[in-house]
Amino acid sequence: MARLTLTNGKVVIKPFNRIWIVLGIVIALSFLFGYVVALESEGITFRPDQLPIILKKMFSPHRGETWIDYFSYILELQNVMVMTLQMCYGGTVIGALSAVPIALLSSKNIVKTKWIYGPFRFLLNLFRTIPVTVLAVISIGMVGTGILAGMIAISLFTFGIMAKMLFELIETIDMNCVEALESTGANRVQAIRYAVFPQVFPVFIGYTIYIFETNVRSSAILSYVGITTIGTIMKDNEMTDYDKVGGAVILIFVVCVIIQLFSDLVRRKLE
Amino acid sequence: MNRVQSVLSKKPKKWIANLLFVLAISALLVYSFRNTSINPMRIRSIPFLIGNFFNGFTEILWDALLGYGEFRFVESITYLALQTLAIGFFGTLLGSILAVPVSFLAAENVVGKRVAKVGTFFLIVIRVFPEIILAYILVKGIGGGPVTGILVIGIHSVGMLGKLFAEAIDSMDRSSIEALDAVGANTWQKIRFGILPQLMPLMSSIALYRLDINVRSATILGAIGAGGLGALLTIFSDPPAWSILATIMVAIMVMVMAVDTVSSYLRNKLV
Repeated sequence: MARLTLTNGKVVIKPFNRIWIVLGIVIALSFLFGYVVALESEGITFRPDQLPIILKKMFSPHRGETWIDYFSYILELQNVMVMTLQMCYGGTVIGALSAVPIALLSSKNIVKTKWIYGPFRFLLNLFRTIPVTVLAVISIGMVGTGILAGMIAISLFTFGIMAKMLFELIETIDMNCVEALESTGANRVQAIRYAVFPQVFPVFIGYTIYIFETNVRSSAILSYVGITTIGTIMKDNEMTDYDKVGGAVILIFVVCVIIQLFSDLVRRKLE
Repeated sequence: MNRVQSVLSKKPKKWIANLLFVLAISALLVYSFRNTSINPMRIRSIPFLIGNFFNGFTEILWDALLGYGEFRFVESITYLALQTLAIGFFGTLLGSILAVPVSFLAAENVVGKRVAKVGTFFLIVIRVFPEIILAYILVKGIGGGPVTGILVIGIHSVGMLGKLFAEAIDSMDRSSIEALDAVGANTWQKIRFGILPQLMPLMSSIALYRLDINVRSATILGAIGAGGLGALLTIFSDPPAWSILATIMVAIMVMVMAVDTVSSYLRNKLV
């Protein structure tokens, strides 16, 4: 460690830079995880030369077809896309609304008893670890492989994230308003309605739109456990008709862009 | 009319807008249930399903989980969980490294408004492009396995990391750089002593936050063939083999909650 003696006799010691500890840990973890990945990588071969070929197959018409066929196929996909959006919308709205009471019960400043909010938080954390594919398997078991199953899976997933984001938000609100209302004789429910709700509501809408975006983007995964979404097109045509896959990819991307633009607009208005 | 009442009557009448808002949301919700159907036989079997789900947790396959008996360690679920963790870790590392230059290009106070617009646009495109589709394209294009998973997560995280990094750079305190200028520091010294100490804690905290998200999405991406636990989750979900799914979920719960705890502990220490 660098020591420096000043002319007045005082000794200045350069403090130890913690960045070296961080770098050390990152490098150590890299070796550990690198070893883990390398353990199984023998059978895997990379063929990056395939990438341009696949991309060309995806984003150009099939042999013997024209661009008109290609784009008319995208239009044919609208039914599946509407189904996917139905699932995402219904699931997001239901999930977000059902998260509200649980979020209130899990926030430290609303429920002041530790043995109420503690268990709720623990269960929420546990629930959030269940991957969305497993949630989908459960909902397929409940209602079959239709739109409803996707909706239930997405609502369960949304519930998990929203409850967590919302209780963290509720904990940051200004509690003086609640106190002021209670001092004028408002009960707990009134205090929540007039002091907590107005502070939380705009952000809640913002979160809901954000989760809706995420859900639309990740809905394709549901088709890998059997629910019919736009991802089914990708899964079913993966060996034969890459042009159809490409059409589905373009459609998803366009829809995602539209939703992003819309949500940016709404969020800017809310601010 | 006394003063209180007159003020109250001047309160803006927002109920029409609110009513329209609620009506629009509910109308879309009703629409999203279009073409859904419920099989009453399925409804009756829901209790059995929930029972099976929880029963799975009483029949955890310890030999498959820990890799003894007829399973080699490389085939065990613990190994795959470690691989998933590795994908999340390297993905975040790759994403952070790639995000640094991009975020400087998207920060207004570094490159000016015009270039920042281009950088921001680039980041939005990456963010909007669905991770699952990126995984699909890369798995088909260059081959499956954990390395592809790392690439997918790394590329996709650049979108969010770059945006948050750019915000961190934009909110940087410039006076310390001015002070360094005044004592005659060169560019490298300005970066080293003026910029890095300000940005490192913020950036590491953002990266740790993203690590949490990435480990969760790494558990799903396996369904498409990008390495990790996800492949098993989809293989054993049709028909659902609850004991295996429960075993995988135990591994995921331990892994995700551990990452969550470590990440939030370190983030609290950083900020």
